[in-house]
Amino acid sequence: MRRVREFEVYVAGVCVVLGVLLVAQFRTQEYIGRAQLPSRRLEDLSDMLRRSDAERGLLEKEVNALRKQLATVGEGERATEALRAELAKARMAAGLVEVEGPGLVVELDDSKRQAAPGESPELFLVHDEDILKIVNELFAAGAEAISINGQRVITTTEVRCAGPVISVNNVRVGPPYQVVAIGEPNTLDAALHMRDGILDTLRAWGIEAKVQKMTSVRVPTYKGSLYFQYAKSVAEGAGK
Amino acid sequence: MLPVLGLLLGIAIALLTPVRFPAVYSDYMAVGILAALDSVCGGFRAGLEDRFDRVVFISGFITNMALAACLTLVGDKLGVDLFLGATVAFSIRIFTNVGMIRRYLLQRMSGPSRTGSRDARA
Repeated sequence: MRRVREFEVYVAGVCVVLGVLLVAQFRTQEYIGRAQLPSRRLEDLSDMLRRSDAERGLLEKEVNALRKQLATVGEGERATEALRAELAKARMAAGLVEVEGPGLVVELDDSKRQAAPGESPELFLVHDEDILKIVNELFAAGAEAISINGQRVITTTEVRCAGPVISVNNVRVGPPYQVVAIGEPNTLDAALHMRDGILDTLRAWGIEAKVQKMTSVRVPTYKGSLYFQYAKSVAEGAGK
Repeated sequence: MLPVLGLLLGIAIALLTPVRFPAVYSDYMAVGILAALDSVCGGFRAGLEDRFDRVVFISGFITNMALAACLTLVGDKLGVDLFLGATVAFSIRIFTNVGMIRRYLLQRMSGPSRTGSRDARA
């Protein structure tokens, strides 16, 4: 066997270091690949979200049951007839009844166009602001009831960006978005098609927007709960 | 032979101990590995050329490691991927050295007639 030369010893020494580093790095990479987000917190949060979603589903059912119960309580008593008419009007105004009538349906979907290099792909998505502008325009044109993907727009309705989707009535809705409005179809249609108006702007970015005038559309009722924790009504004449 | 044994020993040590670095230092590790690999190739080449000097070798190894780590750190702070510079530099050197090693080994294998046998001189 030939003599071991000096350099081999030193190179071998560095090779030991190299081996340790290699294995450690492989292990690290594997770890990164396995758990891209190692934070337990994220899992906790998504678990909480799932649970509260389920809970909300149950509560919605309860709300519906209680509303039906409430509706049957007053029946049959003539003295409360006027009151019930008033109540019906209030419920109508509050968006607590499903309504039907002439109107239009606006369908929006993200742009199919590819963002050119340097262009932000954000520009080609439907944003909460776009929906808000459309809803605003429709109300301004006299829409009487509006829903976004089945979510009735009421006084406390928010339309807010929630990551890749939009939160409406605390329910996440995603594209394609369907805005249904009840009102005079031609007026509503004209409001959206105003020159340099909302549809012009959206179409400039390739957002797919379709407006259909309908002789009859349905806008569903508000399905969430109504709960006023801070707002108290100021009864007439009771103010000091 | 000995370097291969060393490598195996290192791998065995690392496999037997649960050594792992935080994912944040992944870039540093990668550059460190390249620096080590570069040193191994450089040392091997110098050995084959009969001009191996342990002081040069060890100091080169340590300096390269330190410089690479510093570059990565500065790059991290500046938000520029400076460690890519170290990566490219090391890669080029590794290629060059491996090329030279290959040449020497080929010469040696083809026999003393063409090369004038380095083993005979050593």
